[in-house]
Amino acid sequence: MQHITRNLIAAAALALLAGCASTGDTTAQDQTGAQPDATTEQGITAQPGQDAYSYPYGQAPSQYDTYDTAGGANASGQAGGGRPGQAVAGGGSAVSADRIVYFSFDSAEILPESQTIVAANARALTGNARIITQLEGHTDERGSREYNIALGERRANAVRQAMIAMGVSPQQIRVVSYGEERPAAGGQSEQSYALNRRVEIVY
Amino acid sequence: MRPSVIKLFGLIALLLVGRFALAQPLTIDITKGIEGSGIPIAIAPFGGGAPEDIAGIIASDLQRTGKIAPQSAGARADYSVTGQAQPGGSRGYIVQFQLAGVQGAPLLNLSFDVPPNQLRPVAHRISDLIYEKLTGEKGLAGTRIAYIASSGGSWYLVVADADGQNPRVILRSGQPLMSPAWSPDGGKLAYVSFEGRRPQIIVQDIYSGARRVVSAAPGINGAPSWSPNGQRLAFTLSKDGNPEIYALDLATQSPVRLTSGSAIDTEPVWLPDGSIVFTSDRGGSPQLYRIGPGGGAAQRLTFEGDYNARPTVSPDGRTIAMVHRRGGRFHIAVLDLQTRQFRVLTAGGLDESPSFAPNGKMIIYSNGQRLTAVSLDGSVKQDFALRGNGRDPVWAPYGR
Repeated sequence: MQHITRNLIAAAALALLAGCASTGDTTAQDQTGAQPDATTEQGITAQPGQDAYSYPYGQAPSQYDTYDTAGGANASGQAGGGRPGQAVAGGGSAVSADRIVYFSFDSAEILPESQTIVAANARALTGNARIITQLEGHTDERGSREYNIALGERRANAVRQAMIAMGVSPQQIRVVSYGEERPAAGGQSEQSYALNRRVEIVY
Repeated sequence: MRPSVIKLFGLIALLLVGRFALAQPLTIDITKGIEGSGIPIAIAPFGGGAPEDIAGIIASDLQRTGKIAPQSAGARADYSVTGQAQPGGSRGYIVQFQLAGVQGAPLLNLSFDVPPNQLRPVAHRISDLIYEKLTGEKGLAGTRIAYIASSGGSWYLVVADADGQNPRVILRSGQPLMSPAWSPDGGKLAYVSFEGRRPQIIVQDIYSGARRVVSAAPGINGAPSWSPNGQRLAFTLSKDGNPEIYALDLATQSPVRLTSGSAIDTEPVWLPDGSIVFTSDRGGSPQLYRIGPGGGAAQRLTFEGDYNARPTVSPDGRTIAMVHRRGGRFHIAVLDLQTRQFRVLTAGGLDESPSFAPNGKMIIYSNGQRLTAVSLDGSVKQDFALRGNGRDPVWAPYGR
């Protein structure tokens, strides 16, 4: 409940910011990034993405509560065209169980019990060529973070290959790996690790 | 902005303050000092009424080195530090100190003219001067670290002093941040940001806050690493199907691919001669390999166990630290490139992301939640107690 309230408040603040930004003379929405002077008078730089706010070191807030309010409320400058609510979207996306494929430790081989899930989603995609799915690869938290990004991509690609073999067009599939950065379950039990070694089929 | 909007803003600001007042501030406390003894030193409180406890900061800095042991008042010591921090000078305060042996002339006798907000940095500077005088090594008290923290669906890129104090959030994002890397001059950080729900490599000037996307290719954009002269970035892209190492000339913006094959190649770091050490599972398990400045045949560097990843290179280029798995636990291990001696440095668990201090004497690493610094000789270990979490720590170079 606390989170929901918080998200709503922050979303309202961001929506307001977006409104204010449109009254300003510049908005930092350039995705190419070749824009070294996007700093606002408050020193908040919202550029190049939609979700992030940078601060010059000398003016950077020093506490979570300060920067949360600084980004949300004190910032009368540009918010970079942030989509309302986006900047505070919590952990992993809430994907239903019939769209999650699981893996063994150190493996990119789809577990037998997850094969039916891949097949069911592949049928949905072949049945409607307009659906674009994003396959999000994840790992448990053990080992090196960047190596886990590579492992997560290998898992997502395994699902991609299986779907293509089932007739899904490659144009319908996008792949992104979050490695260990967005765990579905907290804690350091084998059970949590198993829940985190997954590919989420998002569409 | 219209008055009604301002009023609404104020209301939301109040709501936000009320909501977030409970959020924990992010600070790091040193919970564990040294193991073993050091050079005994007596540090008298600084007179003059400055708003910072300068003697306390110096004592804490010196204790953390593990090589110098501040004594309680009245205890025997080989050296003494006395000083004053008084209002005055052209900038606000005159800080003066002396380092002396048991007898004879002072070893150091210096004063600084500083504004009030520079009292803490000056205390760190004094600590480093004392440390260098007594040990002959460059000190770390005046250096900084960067790390990633997360809380409540936000990710933070934080720069803090080497004692964990004075944390500054230089980037806040609603999507994951990872793999910060300092430019050799200490003025920029390259990192991976998932803003827009896809990974990009961004370089941020920490003093202006200005950011520049240096890579946003399809697939992985990961593991940025600065060349020793700061003119090139190595990183990982998977746009051609699987993760490969690329080097980008920052002036020309043209990435050159350095590896090939169906294996995972990632986590590049530069050696002083321009060759690159990286992680690859081309042999069946992740191990460290080395390629020349232009790529070519890879030489395998690690043979201990079935998991060696995330290399980082000491400032003198002689030692590589890495993540090493044995018995199901992840440790920080070091490899001497000249003697080929391999040593496991930490007790292990979920240890990851090692980074050398700029004097090459310490390594900071994370267990995914907390930060720890350990000396290369194993004699000193500091646990940084975070009220928030911390991971991906990187020690800043001496820089400017």
